[in-house]
Amino acid sequence: MADLGPRYPTEKPDHPYVKFSFGGNLYGNYSSLFCAGCGYGIIGHIFTRVFEDEKLDHKLYPLIIGIGCYTQIVTIAHHKSQKIFTLHGRAPALATGMKMANPKLKPIVFTGDGDCLGIGGNHFIHICRRNVDCTILIFNNSIYGMTGGQSAPTTLYGAKSTTTPYKTFENRSDAVKLALAAGATYIARTTVAHPRTLMKYFKKALKHKGTSVIEVITPCLTYFGRKNLDNLGAENQGLTGNRMDTGGKMIDWIKRNSVKKNQAKFMDEDELFNRYVIGEFHYDNSKPEYSEVYSKIQKFAMGDD
Amino acid sequence: MSEKNTKRYLPEGKYVMMGNVAMAEGALAAGLSFFGGYPITPSTEVIEYLAKRLPEVGGSCIQMEDELASINAVMGASLAGAKAMTATSGPGLSLMVETISMAANLEIPFVFCDVQRVGPGSHGPVTAPHHNDLGLIRFAGHGEFQVIALAPMNCQELFDLTITAFNFAETYRCPVFILSDAYLGHLHEPIYIPPKEEIIKKVINREIPQDDSKMYSYKNNETGEYIIPKPPIVGTDHFPITSLQLPHNNLGFPISNALMFIEVLIEKVNSKIDEISITEEYRLEDADIVIIAYGLPVRASYRAVDIAREGGIKVGVFRLITVWPFPDEKVRNVVKDAKVIIIPELNYTGIIAEQVERVKKRETPIIKIPKVGEIHHPDEILKIIKEVS
Repeated sequence: MADLGPRYPTEKPDHPYVKFSFGGNLYGNYSSLFCAGCGYGIIGHIFTRVFEDEKLDHKLYPLIIGIGCYTQIVTIAHHKSQKIFTLHGRAPALATGMKMANPKLKPIVFTGDGDCLGIGGNHFIHICRRNVDCTILIFNNSIYGMTGGQSAPTTLYGAKSTTTPYKTFENRSDAVKLALAAGATYIARTTVAHPRTLMKYFKKALKHKGTSVIEVITPCLTYFGRKNLDNLGAENQGLTGNRMDTGGKMIDWIKRNSVKKNQAKFMDEDELFNRYVIGEFHYDNSKPEYSEVYSKIQKFAMGDD
Repeated sequence: MSEKNTKRYLPEGKYVMMGNVAMAEGALAAGLSFFGGYPITPSTEVIEYLAKRLPEVGGSCIQMEDELASINAVMGASLAGAKAMTATSGPGLSLMVETISMAANLEIPFVFCDVQRVGPGSHGPVTAPHHNDLGLIRFAGHGEFQVIALAPMNCQELFDLTITAFNFAETYRCPVFILSDAYLGHLHEPIYIPPKEEIIKKVINREIPQDDSKMYSYKNNETGEYIIPKPPIVGTDHFPITSLQLPHNNLGFPISNALMFIEVLIEKVNSKIDEISITEEYRLEDADIVIIAYGLPVRASYRAVDIAREGGIKVGVFRLITVWPFPDEKVRNVVKDAKVIIIPELNYTGIIAEQVERVKKRETPIIKIPKVGEIHHPDEILKIIKEVS
């Protein structure tokens, strides 16, 4: 790529992985488009880092991206990745077609909570059901960030958003439980406050043959944090909490609000209300993968076997 | 590979085939290797037949969870280098239009078989024809772009034109539609399948691009030509670094000049209208009554013209095989000396009549013969011909 000169020559120190990112490769040094305090930078960085460290062949891992704030992750994702931008929510369907047309590929799907659990919920269920070999990363920031902070299917009870100015009164959907029920073969949930765990899960997912779903809890400071208190619903109960108006406070809140799977076993439903249970929920490498099964059908139909 | 090819082409000869099956066979002959579909009457036979046939040739046929998924799977497969298609009917088309818009932007080649049925709504006479979808297809999806629509009138053409449709999709990288309908799709007719070598000669294959500098269509500023490069394939060395659905240049980089981008999307097809536009003239030499038709009504029109000619009435048929883009110049030439234009269409509005209205002389009257849910009888057209002659 043409050297366009450093975009932010003095603002940022050199980072070992920046030059592998899309923007960094283009400009020499790069600052992402995300709000200060956003978690997508961490995710994009981990993506680039895993690919660079593991020396993976980018051509085999097309990056299929849905629509949301995280679409901008491409600017910090690895510059060699082949990125395909899909329609809102349709990324899993597109990944299925791509995998079937060329079974050598292993699509990585970037999708968000609104993208995957809202508009594309059906496609998500069915890609899990089919066990298509792909890695789905669901970025859950409990809000529709790109359109300006509307409530999402994952918005926590009692939280405020621009479309629920009083409070969110709907039950939230749980990507992990949905994926479990639908039949995905590797399911995990972690947060950007645990980046090394995320990296571990991501590497494991890339090696896994089958649908792997990783839900990543990430902060949206601009539209979620600034509007909400760190003990959600406290205002309605007349209690006071702290407004999560900095990135640090949000990361702190995410850490405090997530419960490890092993601890969660000893907690009742009330205690787990509005909390994130993190950990690995399911791993099954015995279930046949979709394109493999189909290739057997092809062989049978062709009369080869 | 040779193993796969043996089953791809049916042996040369005459067959009796259902329209939908002929279409599917045409697609296979054209190199189809991915079909994503969702059952909907009257297009269901296409997916049923391909589910059996595609694995035999090493391709995949998947019944997706809905129409939205099926067309998106087709997009994914096409991006991965497969010749891909889907088949649906009116309500399915309504669901798919968003993705058609995406396909137009990223110039993903695919073929879309629309087996039209009576609309609007999702119920009603689903096994009756209604050429209503052209109105949606020509402006399908948000944004401005150009599509190609072909209208076969018998099972033989369903086979032949499907091959043409795939070639158009590969060449022009725009959505290509086959406008079948409920009667045509379920019609059983004899068709001739040419020998394998002849088909292979006709088909344009997907090639892996060898050049990084040209990924999307662009205008050559020196010659004013619109250049359409080969579609990029995921998993090869040459794939655009971004395939953002934004106004983009030939590299895939976003550009601010959206007008230029839209111009390319539309003019890359419109400037090649002579190659795209397929038409047929039937006893039109000295005709002063011109019938303009496409699809099934053509058959009734031909018969009506034959009878009318026996009675000495100078009447002929101008048949549109490429219905969209509308061949303005050709139609203008045909209708310039006409006394009367008769347009039998399987819809009420007269979607093609509207277009003819645009290019005809002001004083030439148009007589529409609308019909919905049933096909024209030659006598109905003959009656009109006799009235105006």
